[in-house]
Amino acid sequence: MTAEQVQPKRKEESAGLMKYSAENLVPFGPIHPALKEPEYFKLVLEGERIVQVIPRIGYVHRGLEKAAEMRPWVQNMYMFERTCGICSFVHSLAYGQAVEGLTIYEVPRRAKYIRLIIAEMERIHSHLLWVGLMGHWAGFETLFMWVWRDREVVLDLVEAISGNRVHKSMNAIVGVRRDMPENMEDRIVERMKFLVDRARYYREIIDTEETMLERTEKIGKLSPDTAEKLCAVGPMARYVGLRKDVRLNDPYAAYDEVPFDIITSNEADVHALLRLRLDEIVVSANMISYAVKHLPDGPIRVKIPPVIPAGEHSAHCEAPRGEIFYYVKSGGGRTPERVKVRTPTLANLPTALEILKGQTIADVPIVLTAIDPCFGCMDRMSFLDTETNRQWTWSGEQLRQYGINHYFPERLKR
Amino acid sequence: MSEVLLRQLQKYAADANGKVAVPRKGEIIVEIDQGKVKDFISRVVNDLRIRHLSTMTGLDLGQNVGIIYHFWRDKDTIHVKTPVPKTQPTAVSIVEIIPGAILYEMEIHDMFGITFEGNPWMDRKLLLPDTWPADLAPPLLKSSKPAEIRKRLQLEVERK
Repeated sequence: MTAEQVQPKRKEESAGLMKYSAENLVPFGPIHPALKEPEYFKLVLEGERIVQVIPRIGYVHRGLEKAAEMRPWVQNMYMFERTCGICSFVHSLAYGQAVEGLTIYEVPRRAKYIRLIIAEMERIHSHLLWVGLMGHWAGFETLFMWVWRDREVVLDLVEAISGNRVHKSMNAIVGVRRDMPENMEDRIVERMKFLVDRARYYREIIDTEETMLERTEKIGKLSPDTAEKLCAVGPMARYVGLRKDVRLNDPYAAYDEVPFDIITSNEADVHALLRLRLDEIVVSANMISYAVKHLPDGPIRVKIPPVIPAGEHSAHCEAPRGEIFYYVKSGGGRTPERVKVRTPTLANLPTALEILKGQTIADVPIVLTAIDPCFGCMDRMSFLDTETNRQWTWSGEQLRQYGINHYFPERLKR
Repeated sequence: MSEVLLRQLQKYAADANGKVAVPRKGEIIVEIDQGKVKDFISRVVNDLRIRHLSTMTGLDLGQNVGIIYHFWRDKDTIHVKTPVPKTQPTAVSIVEIIPGAILYEMEIHDMFGITFEGNPWMDRKLLLPDTWPADLAPPLLKSSKPAEIRKRLQLEVERK
């Protein structure tokens, strides 16, 4: 698209420009066809530096909370699983735990272990996906290819257990729907050992490879106090040194029986986030190996009547991106009166806006990817120079190239 | 749940004419009037050092819209409930105390039509489309019907 073709469409945009006449306003987002959560950021710039970020989300708001009020309890579980296309299992887990709290039934111990195994496999696949994307945005394509190849290992295991790669539909209210297949133990332990080796190898790469170091070190700084004030969750809280993890602080499923370490960091930059997530893959893989070796016998599910007793209950779980929160209110009927969902990306958005302040445009893709958002917005970016009133648009690919050229100008000469 | 925490909360709630209930282990529900809720939350955050607000929930309670602040520390979840009358839909913002609450307040503003006084971003929308008509009921109120929303926003898909 040439510069002349891009015209301002909305009055509101120009009003914003008047307000920040001394600075540049860069609309960032919102649509990316491949990703499920488009977000739109207005970046206010002073030269290259970002001074303020204004978010606008809701482009894919599907009204799930309203829809839940018209559907039976069990149907909702599989609807909420489709809230996210990456961490789908943990949504149904949190919803299930919120509903189970209203009933008198106890989840069988074997089901708790199976829930842990699937949840940790999901964490491995989500973290690997993220490490690959970081490699892509940093201009390190080999890392992207290798990491996504290894991600297939864990997706294959998930498929072998549940029959699906993404939407596992494993959970039921009070229990799980499918048992672990016979004779899977050796295969899972062996594959987990492979993943631990790979994660350690990638850890070595990101600590030594110049491309990754230059793009990620000392970028995305955050203080622990700010993170706590902005209610950051998950890796975004742990990379500044806060020990905030639902698995540790408020154990659910079988997390109180399976030993694990919490990884925290004190460096608080994007590089620390990379290391933290790779270390978490190792921890998760070890947890899975432990859980399959100590899997208890017994039933996997309790059948319950379709009516849930009146009351209200909330539950939270540690999704790959942080704390996920469900609140459920029942009037004693076949459908819920209210279900509230809070995903970790919404909780981490204020933190991301804070981190973006003071960064350059070249760092925007890296920093926005670093929070592991359910990742919208990178595909299109339009610029407006307020002095000359010249407008132009960059695609996500051009933006990525700009970032790489900014850091490695010598590559241009080749 | 520590007894100390419960006793402290009971004391703060008594000062604010609120009620404390413990429906099950690890869960504390505090009901408080709209006028006192900001003071109460500032004591929870600053004195008890419970700084993590998980989220805020809006609820249609018939005459009122209920707002629940969900706090979390270790094994305890504290739900602070406050009613806001639908006839006068303004509530007090807690962004000064917890900056991370800004998007949750915008969400309730969109979904239940409650205006939070003191929130700097109350003039813009977060989730609803820009074309949302001002006279249409906020979507998560029980009086709002999906069929009407589809009709007003011209989202009806022609079926062959």
